[in-house]
This record gives sequence, structure tokens and C-alpha cells, in this order.
Amino acid sequence: MEFLKDLPPAKSTATTFYDHSNDPWFKNRFTESESEKSAAVVAFKAVPVYLKRQGFRPRSPEDFGDGGAFPEIHVAQYPLGMGKNKSSKPGSKTLPVTVDAEGNVVFDAIVRQNENSKKIVYSQHKDIIPKVLKNERGGDGVVDEEEELQKQIQATTEETKAAMEKIVNVRLSAAQPTNVPRQSGDSEFIKYKPSQQSAAFNSGAKERIIRMVEMPVDPLDPPKFKHKRVPKASGSPPVPVMHSPPRPVTVKDQQDWKIPPCISNWKNPKGYTIPLDKRLAADGRGLQDVQINDNFAKLSEALYVAEQKAREAVSMRSKVQKEMMMKEKERKEQELRALAQKARSERTGAPASMPVSSDRARSESVDPRGDYDYDRERERDRDRDRDMEREREREGPKESRAEREERIQRDKIREERRRERERERRLEAKDAATGKKSKITRDRDRDISEKVALGMASTGRKGGEVMYDQRLFNQEKGMDSGFATDDQYNVYDKGLFTAQPTLSTLYKPKKDTDEEMYGNADEQLDKLKNTEKFKPDRAFTGASERSGKRERPVEFEKEDEQDPFGLDRFVSDVNKGKKPLDKIGSGGTMRASGGGGSSSRDDYGGSGRTKINFERGDR
Amino acid sequence: MPGTTTKDAESIEPQSLKRALDLPPPVPEAKKIRLSHKIKVAFGGVEPVSQTGTSSASVSSLHERNFSTSALMESTRWPRPEWHAPWKNYRVIQGHLGWVRSVAFDPSNKWFCTGSADRTIKMWDVATGVLKLTLTGHIDQVRALAVSNRHKYMFSAGDDKQVKCWDLEQNKVIRSYHGHLSGVHCLALHPTEDVLLTGGRDSVCRVWDIRTKRQRFALTGHDNTVCSVFTRPTHPQIVTGSHDTTIKFWDLRYGGKAMTTLTHHKKSVRAMTLHPKEDAFASASADNTKKFSLPKGEFCHNMLSQQKTIINAMAVNEDGVMVTGGDNGSIWFWDWKSGHSFQQSQTSVQPGSLESEAGIYAACYDQTGSRLVTCEADKTIKMWKQDENATPETHPVNFKPPKVIRRF
Repeated sequence: MEFLKDLPPAKSTATTFYDHSNDPWFKNRFTESESEKSAAVVAFKAVPVYLKRQGFRPRSPEDFGDGGAFPEIHVAQYPLGMGKNKSSKPGSKTLPVTVDAEGNVVFDAIVRQNENSKKIVYSQHKDIIPKVLKNERGGDGVVDEEEELQKQIQATTEETKAAMEKIVNVRLSAAQPTNVPRQSGDSEFIKYKPSQQSAAFNSGAKERIIRMVEMPVDPLDPPKFKHKRVPKASGSPPVPVMHSPPRPVTVKDQQDWKIPPCISNWKNPKGYTIPLDKRLAADGRGLQDVQINDNFAKLSEALYVAEQKAREAVSMRSKVQKEMMMKEKERKEQELRALAQKARSERTGAPASMPVSSDRARSESVDPRGDYDYDRERERDRDRDRDMEREREREGPKESRAEREERIQRDKIREERRRERERERRLEAKDAATGKKSKITRDRDRDISEKVALGMASTGRKGGEVMYDQRLFNQEKGMDSGFATDDQYNVYDKGLFTAQPTLSTLYKPKKDTDEEMYGNADEQLDKLKNTEKFKPDRAFTGASERSGKRERPVEFEKEDEQDPFGLDRFVSDVNKGKKPLDKIGSGGTMRASGGGGSSSRDDYGGSGRTKINFERGDR
Repeated sequence: MPGTTTKDAESIEPQSLKRALDLPPPVPEAKKIRLSHKIKVAFGGVEPVSQTGTSSASVSSLHERNFSTSALMESTRWPRPEWHAPWKNYRVIQGHLGWVRSVAFDPSNKWFCTGSADRTIKMWDVATGVLKLTLTGHIDQVRALAVSNRHKYMFSAGDDKQVKCWDLEQNKVIRSYHGHLSGVHCLALHPTEDVLLTGGRDSVCRVWDIRTKRQRFALTGHDNTVCSVFTRPTHPQIVTGSHDTTIKFWDLRYGGKAMTTLTHHKKSVRAMTLHPKEDAFASASADNTKKFSLPKGEFCHNMLSQQKTIINAMAVNEDGVMVTGGDNGSIWFWDWKSGHSFQQSQTSVQPGSLESEAGIYAACYDQTGSRLVTCEADKTIKMWKQDENATPETHPVNFKPPKVIRRF
């Protein structure tokens, strides 16, 4: 305040428009300090004298008297409220630091705030260190303990029951309200006069009395508005976590948790590319080795050996047989030759049995020399025979030159054919040996489908043309348009028996129904069939005599305009004394190319009055 | 509570031990910094106002909490495990057509009932293992069962959100407790009150009045499925374990509020069991099995080995044989007092089922504690008993006291 006095006085204190004393800032600054000072001045307690301040805790401003803090008292002191945090209200979030008996800061005071102050909160390291339960029960103490326990249980039960009863009672009373809002039975009568006094208004009543009754309310109605109570958040901080932080996942853990994806051989909806080895592994079939019994191998080996042996035996046997056959043949040939020689010698008269016998003897003696020599011998023998024959032929009756030529030709052809056959047989034998089929057998053994594919099947029709349903052609819409609705009878495009004239049989009259009247059935039929009578005996004049159909529309010719109706001529005809009507038919103005003569339709080319003479056709 | 004082947790005196082991002094700053950082983050800082004279009875000294565990654990004072005979499987009961998910014993110990994923509840004779009765009514897996010892009632709860009360004299559903918003996973009966507790996937534990079918309380506070619950006659009356890894104690007297929250587990607490005599319970999660003392919920110790699987079922009998059944079919038997696993066995699946179908979903001792029933994923129920021929000589206890317990 003195500081203010030193300042020069304000110039316009009198002319100020703003009332500083009412400014809240001003009020805060000055009135408060003044009131505080006054409070400090007005009431302060007697402070105990020095060295007698044991147990004295200066807390409120009046404890300090007029002075400052007491240094010998080790308590936070706020003389004149200096340094005191005024914002530390009950709702604030800062806590004063508290210390325990040994002067250590109690850090866990923070978790023992509002609601937790009544609870047990474990927050210290000693709460997580292992302890071993003391489990020593004295022999005599058991009974007391049991009794104590029973008592305790009893007490707890009673207490709980009472508490729950209370809750239930509250609920019950809420559910069965005793103070049901009374329906006010008393009614209020209001009398009023309408302002419009006329007969037309208000039924002409002069005044009315209204009875006002409160609308009855169903007491059992559920409440219209539901108040949903939001649970109050607990004001206490969360309890401390009493375990160590989770350990980092080791590589082994990660590997243990790695679950391979499911691989299916049938489904792959996401379309992943799955390596072949994974697929095979998923299949599971390759996982176990297939154990093949040795006996399979043994069996096949034995079979092979047996087959070989059998083949050898067969070939050996066949060889022996062939040799035997050959020998037999040889012997027969020799015999025949000997016979022939004998016969020849008999014919010639010379005894010629010698060479045969010598030959046979030689052949028999030659045998051990081997087949080759034997064959050569045989060839030589044959040549000799042929020469002998030729000589004989020469000796025989002479043939003419032409005959000879012919014979040679024939022989040549014969020889050729023989060679051809031989070659074919050889080829066939070779093919059969190698397992190939000859052309003939191959074709014969073909499958039906093969035959059809090769066009070898005899389908009756040689054109190779495929039959199609006629209805499938010439259609614009498609297949199903060809088949009409079910009630339409168009299944067949043709009559079943096209050869038979349907119409001719349909209207055939019965025989001898009324003969005397209409004549014989044939007569009637003829009559019916006869359409000659419908044919005009002459054509329209001017119409071209064409039997064919009309190619163009009917053309009309224009005549002279002066007399369209031929009145002049009519008049002149009258003068001539001719009948006018005779001319009309023949002198038609229409030049129409009439329909064909066989047409049964009425072609009324002329006017309605035109008379056409039908001539009965001769029969 | 004079009854519980003798069983109170005894913490080992740290000072002498420290001197004895001659350990380097711990670094208190690190912890302090971390804690203060947490506080700052959460509540915007603390103003350094010293305030003497506050009641510091509940607050303990700073340096006491900063010792490492190894220093605190004196291996010589760790209790020796008692010898227990090994357990062996003596009966396999087939009959269910799906996973067997729950089991409960009759108080008379004549029969037990199992609930299955085939939506049926079957009752079996304990002595012979013969099927006595099949109850149908649920339309989804039967996840929890309880037989009342105060009424002739059986209670069942399932994934179909239904909680049913069966009258065992008529074998009929007589009540159904409607209110769960999702599948019900656990169920418990209060021992002294006519109150039924169910916890489910809607992360609420509901307290039902058995007679009136009305919901007394909805114990809200868990952040995830409530998958285990048990009750006690004294405080705390309700204890729930949840997939949010916490265990909560609830007070029935004051409007069903959570009294204590235990956050010692790292994984969901799927199974809890109360010791029949001691005031202690054990809770199992995938990381560890932990033991807590009861009125206050003080942490006692971890079990000395880790099963390393999801533990679905847990039971303890009066002899102190605790059994835990895992998702991979492992059944471990523990000594309750010392936390030593004296038998680590594996169930064998019934022929015809996959190897992966070995899994324990529920386990329960009979009323005497001499027989164990496990419900398994291979659709069978297996019964176990102790090997009579075993002696401490044939099956010696292979126990080494823990030197350092690092895992909390």
C-alpha cells in the first residue's frame, strides 16, 4: 500500500467511468487479502510457549498468530496460507505425498484412494514373494477353532441373509406399490355460456355444464418411460498388476505356434499356388513305403523260365515232326518216281529198275551226310527227270507253232500266278509270325464302331447321306418352333400312305343305297367326280387363251370416254332390232386371263347379271 | 478372526537371510523410478508434500519390498512334501457322444453326474460305473454341474445361456434361471444360503435366488469370461476367476461389490479349487498354478513346476493331493503343502480317437477323496484311484527344495 502511495496520483480519478472496486479481479486481490488479514487479526489462538510445543501442529492460519512458521516443528506449515495449494479440493487428482512411520514415501497411496481404501490392495513387492503357510494346529485348539469357525459362519450367514432380505424387501416393495395413485373420484363441474348465442350454434343451448373427471389410469400398466441406470464407474484406480511382464516370445515358441496351412487335394478356394511336394505330403500316400512280397518276383521268374522251356520243347517237337514229315514225303516221292520209272521202262521195254534201286540205295546211304547234300542230289534228280520229259515230248506228236506259242504263254501266266501266290503266302506267314494281321483278317476282325467309322458298315444307303427331319429345315425361329402346341396335330408332315389317294376314298358313296333313284354307285361317283360341268364352254372375249396361271394382276383397258356405257351402240342396236342383252356377255370390257380350265372355282368375271352357259360335258 | 490367525501367512525375515547369503545390495532406485513413472502416467504426478503423522500401520518399509526373491526364499525352510501314493486309472467309462465337460458328485457318494457336449447329463454309479440315467433338456454343451447337499436338486448350466434346476425326485427341470447373455461356464452353490452362482461369457457372475428364480446380484467387474467360481461360508463368500487373468473376491453383504482383486496371474484363470480344510485356495492358469491364503487373498507361492498347458480342471482332496488336468491330456498330481508335483501322468485316449483328443475338461474327487473322476475330450470318463501297492520305498519322493523362484 505504501508503494501505491509513492506513485503520483492519478489524473482522472474523479472522471473514471469504470468502478474498479466492483471488478472481480480487484475484488479478489483486495477484499480477500483484507478479509484474511482481518481474520488473522481478529482471532488467533494462543501459541504455546517455546520449548513447550510438543504435540503442537500448526495447521490453520490462526495457529500461527501473527508470525511465520515454527522451524522446530517438522510439519508442512502455511502461515497466512502461503504456499498452500488452494486447488487441493476433495475432487482433485493430486494426492499429497504421505510417508510411513519410518519416513519413507508411501507410493501405493495412489492405489488406495476412494473405494480401494476400504479394500485390500496388494501393491508391494513383498506381496508377490512366496510365503509358506503355517499349518500347525494344536491338538486341543481344534475344538475351539471349530467352534469359532461355526460361530463365524453363523454370523456371516445371518448377516448376509439380513442384507439380502433388505434388498429383496426393497425390490418387493417396488414391485408391489402400496401407494397406488388414487383415482380421484370427485368430479368438477364447469358451467359456461357460449359466446355465440344462436339457435344454430351449440344446439341452441344457452349454457352448458361440463363435468371434468380425471382419466382413469391402469395401475398395472408398465411404466411408460424406462430409466436405464448406467453403472457408476468405480472411482478407484485399477489395482496394480502383480506379475512380471510377459516374456518375449522365443523363436522356439514361434516355431511351435506355426501351424501349417491346410492343403486339400480337392479344394483350393483361394487359388493359392501349392508346391507339388506339399501336395504330395498332404496326400499321405507317399508317406508309407509299399512293401512288395518277394514271392511276386519269384512267381514271375518261374513263369518266365517255364515259358522258355515250354517254347523250346514245342519248337523242338515241331522241328522233329517237320523232319519226319519231310522224310515221309521224300519216301513217297521216291516210290512214285520208282513206279513211274517202272511204268516207263515197261512201256519202252527196257529194264529200268536199276537206277531206282541204286538211287534209293544211294539216298539211304547218303542220309548221314546231311540235308544239304541230300537236297542237291534231289535237285539233280529232278533236272534229270525234266530233261527226260522234254525228250519224251519231243518224241510225242508234234504241235504246231501257234499252239506252242500259246502253251508257252499259258505257262508263263501260270508261273506268274504261282509266284504271286507264293509271295503272298510268304508275306502272310511273315506277318503272322510278327503278330501282324493280314489285310483280310484285319478287316474281318474290326470292331463295329471301327467299321462304321471307316464307312464299311452296310447301312443300306450307299450315298452316305444323313437323314434329317424335314421339319428342321426352312424354319426361321428354331427347333422348338417346329413343334406346335400339343393340341395341334402336326406330328406327321406327310400322310402315312402316300400311295393311296385319301380323298378318293373318303367320299366314296356306299354301294346300292338308292340305286333306282340316283343310279349305280359308280355312276354317282362319276357324277361327283365329274367337274366338267363347271368349266365354261367358252372364254371371255378378249381373254387370252392361256391355260396357265395368271402371272400379272388383271389389267383393265380404257375405252373411249364419251360413251362408257355404250349408250350409242345401245341405241343403234335398238334401231337394228337386236336384243341388247345378248351383246353384254360377249362384249365385256374386262380382259381377264382366266384360270385354268380344270379350275373348279367360279370365275365370275363379268357383271352379276352375266349369264354363263354351262355345258354339260359329254361322258 | 482368531480362527485364521494360526494359518496366517508367515513371511520369512529378510534381514538375517541377506546377511547370511551376503548378497549385493539391491538397487531401490530402479523400482522407485518405475513406480513413480507409473503413477505419473496414471494420475498426473504427485506433489511432494511431506506429511508426517499419517497412519502408517498398513504401509511397510521401503527397503523390505526391494529384496529379490532368491534372497527371501530360504530353501531349508521350505516344507518337505508328504508322500502320496501314485494314482492310476482303473476305469474308463464310455457313453457320452461328445466331449465330457463337467462333473459333480452326489453328496451321498452313490452316483455322480457328467455333462457333455452332446447336450446330455448322465448319471453314473460310482461303485460300478454303470449308467443310471440320462437327462436331456439343454440345447448346447453342458458346461457346469452342481448337486445340492441341502436340497434334492441338481443344477446345470450350459453354453445355451440356460441355467437349470433339476428335481432329482422327479428327474425334471423345475426351474430355469434366465438372464445370462451368453454361455454359462461355471456354477457354484452357496453352502449356507439358498443362492446359486453362475459365471459366464458375458463376464458377469450372477447370484440367483434358488427358490424365486430371481437374480439377486450381478457381480460385474470382470473384463472377460468368468470361467471359474467357488463359494465359502465366510468371507470372502464368492471368489471368481476370469479370462481377464484376475481373481476377484466379492462381498454378498454390501451389494455384491468386488472386495479384492488379485492380479498375480498372467493368463486366464480357468480353474480354481478351495482346499477342504485349510483357508487357502489354488488357482491355475496356463503360466502357473498359484496358491493364495484366504480371508485376505495373500499370495502364498507358486507350484514348484509348470505344467505348460492350458489347465481346465483342478481339484484337491483332504489328504492334500491336488490334481490339475490340462488341455493336452496331462494330469499332474501335486502335494498341496509344498507345491511339489509327485506324479506327472498322461491320459491315454480311447481307441478310435485322435491323439489330439486327449484333454481333461473337468476333474472331481468323490466325497471321500479316494477316487478321482476326470472328464475328457475323447468322450470318456476316467476314474482314478491310488495305487495300494505303492510304498515310499517303491515310489520315492524326488524332491529338491527350490533355490530360486524367479517366476511370479
